[in-house]
Amino acid sequence: MSSTGSITDGRRADVELRLPADSAYVSVLRTTTAGLAARLDFTIDDIEDLRIAVGEACAMVLPDADPGSPLLAEFFLAPSLLTVRVTVGGSEIGKPDYDSFAWQVLDTLASSASAEVDGDTFVVTLTMEAETLELRL
Amino acid sequence: MTADINRDGGAPGEAPSAGNEPNRQRSAEFFAVLHDPAAAPSRHESARDGLVHLHLPLVQHCARRFRNRGEPYEDLVQVGTIGLLKSIDHFDAERGVEFSTYATPTIIGEIKRHFRDKGWAIRVPRRLQELRMQIGAATGELTQDLGRSPTPRELAGRIGCTVEEVIEGLESNNAYATLSLDAGDDHEDSATRLLDRLGADDEHLEHVEVRESIKPLLDALEPREKKILLLRFFKNMTQSQIAEEIGVSQMHVSRLLTRTLAQLRESLHDTA
Repeated sequence: MSSTGSITDGRRADVELRLPADSAYVSVLRTTTAGLAARLDFTIDDIEDLRIAVGEACAMVLPDADPGSPLLAEFFLAPSLLTVRVTVGGSEIGKPDYDSFAWQVLDTLASSASAEVDGDTFVVTLTMEAETLELRL
Repeated sequence: MTADINRDGGAPGEAPSAGNEPNRQRSAEFFAVLHDPAAAPSRHESARDGLVHLHLPLVQHCARRFRNRGEPYEDLVQVGTIGLLKSIDHFDAERGVEFSTYATPTIIGEIKRHFRDKGWAIRVPRRLQELRMQIGAATGELTQDLGRSPTPRELAGRIGCTVEEVIEGLESNNAYATLSLDAGDDHEDSATRLLDRLGADDEHLEHVEVRESIKPLLDALEPREKKILLLRFFKNMTQSQIAEEIGVSQMHVSRLLTRTLAQLRESLHDTA
């Protein structure tokens, strides 16, 4: 849960994707994430972790999204670093449930993750750092 | 037979079934009958049956290599047996090769075909299916070489395709093998499925309570009514039989039963 602010603050996302806030579209987001991660030279294990983590992030925010509202996914790209931020708007958003299965999985898979409720928006941010290849070689 | 399999180990040409001399001889005898145009059709048939039985262990041997890949072992034996039948029908004994040498690739081919055709939830283009297999193989090799999982770029370099294609191939992975959630784990007894092993409330537990609360009510019944109940529900007699036993009409038994049951039900509700 360390701060990911340094990457995302005041910076415009490199890639933005606006989807209907509906679980049917989560697979599109997962695929997009995998495609971006592959171009950042993540290992296929990391890519698989990312796919799952993004899915879980959606699982956290989607139930609170207002019907008909969009889900905004923003991607911040850096060398061997990928930050994904998913945002939904909803009129009845509770507190992030840190005991939920989705959060536990997300927090385990991502290098860092945060969940914030600010008024009527629910934001989940996760960052995945590629295994530093140099260290292993 | 187990000893044969162990001895023959990984050599694909060696067949466990024909690994010993008597089997090899019997196999040759059967083929002689099968290919003898003078033999009666019934003898042809029994020779073919004999060959199938003789070489079934070979099919099982081949199928066992493909276990734990998400398809039930029995299914693999079944499609492998189709391969065996094809080999028996097409085998030319005059070529001078062992039947098992000829049959093994056919059986394995049939099993692989089963994986290719049946394992996919969505029909994926052949090109992608093959790419997926290449990716699978290259992933294994590169993981060994690098000591970590490879990146799509490294995979593309190894396979000789573009990063784009690797990503596409990885995506197609997700279309593969959606076995039923209810499928067994393919151990010894794959007949036990997940559902069979999940616990459920024992319905008889509920009955304990009912039985306990009904006991005092039964004791409070008139002796005759109690007897009718016992005869009907414990001795499973029909109303007519009860009527005869007690010496009243069947209609009367019916009325008494209905009344007693209603009474019991009512008192059960009152106590609850």
